[in-house]
Amino acid sequence: MNSMNDIINDLKNKFNPINFDIVSEKQFAIDVENEELQSILAYLKAQGWKQLTLLTCIDWIKENKFQLVYIIYNWDNPITINVRTKIDRDNPKFRTITSIYPGAEYYERDVHEFFGVEFEGNEKSKKPLFLELWDDIPPLRKDFDPLAYSKKKFDVRDYKVDFIPKEGEAE
Amino acid sequence: MALNENEKINEIDVNELDCRDTKTFWEKFGNIFRSKSLWMLHYCTGCGAIELPPTMTSRFDMERFGMGPMATPRQADVLLITGYLSVKTLRRVIYTYEQMQTPKYVVGFGSCTLNGGIYYDSYAVISRLDYYLPVDLYIAGCMPRPEAVMNGFRTLLDMINKGDAQGWKRYLKYNDWYKRNQIRALGEVYVKDEFHE
Repeated sequence: MNSMNDIINDLKNKFNPINFDIVSEKQFAIDVENEELQSILAYLKAQGWKQLTLLTCIDWIKENKFQLVYIIYNWDNPITINVRTKIDRDNPKFRTITSIYPGAEYYERDVHEFFGVEFEGNEKSKKPLFLELWDDIPPLRKDFDPLAYSKKKFDVRDYKVDFIPKEGEAE
Repeated sequence: MALNENEKINEIDVNELDCRDTKTFWEKFGNIFRSKSLWMLHYCTGCGAIELPPTMTSRFDMERFGMGPMATPRQADVLLITGYLSVKTLRRVIYTYEQMQTPKYVVGFGSCTLNGGIYYDSYAVISRLDYYLPVDLYIAGCMPRPEAVMNGFRTLLDMINKGDAQGWKRYLKYNDWYKRNQIRALGEVYVKDEFHE
């Protein structure tokens, strides 16, 4: 089971994935249901995808969904797999994967801080990581307005507008 | 023995009798020597720091002005803020600045310290530096070339020589105002570091 097609067929037989996306020659994405994500990650880890490269979140505000993306990598068979699942945006809760990939602890803290997703089972996921004394909705949500926050929070420089273009000069 | 015309110290006339001049003889004297030997702490927050290696090394050779890099805040005179300052970094910069001995000078590099630059609408980047720390000199540009940096340092040396670089005195005099701005942006000026708790 070395080529990408073999892996995709194997996953199709064993699980019920929603969709496959071929990203590039050595990378594909797989969309799964919430319930299947843990088992598919555990299975792929046993197959050699031992490194969790990234766990991140995408805000699909029109669908009212958060998409969690787990990017895993295999050092023996250099194929990158993006395992993706969508969770409810209004009540963003998901189970932790720290039992499979312990390094996910910090990624989960990151996602909690910037998107507000709660990871059940990870005690430390609510501890602040990057933002100190944050006092607004999580900043990478699409409904957060960074310019309004910046204007409210930080002082801006006032400029005197004293340049009056003469006749013939471009404005 | 009297000095010849071309042997005189040409920076400042320490004996000039100007009744409106409030600086004492020793202040003027001190300013001359301060401007001859500056240690700078480069708190490299952004991309501006990339202009410092060519400024320091053989091509532009900053040391001919009598300026040198210094690793510790307590021994440094000049604090360089080279680029954008995030809220998290600003807290550390204020800590660093308050550890420095007076007289101390702040130089802001690039457009980010002036008005936020391309990060003007960021939730994490302050828009202007001189609301939080007393900036003596801004070097405009994105990023300033080493020539501009050298020119800025030259100006700073002249300002120190004449006694115009008074930022640290402003920080003492208007400390309430600076603290109020800092707390408005930061919540509280206290470094939370989970790795050392």
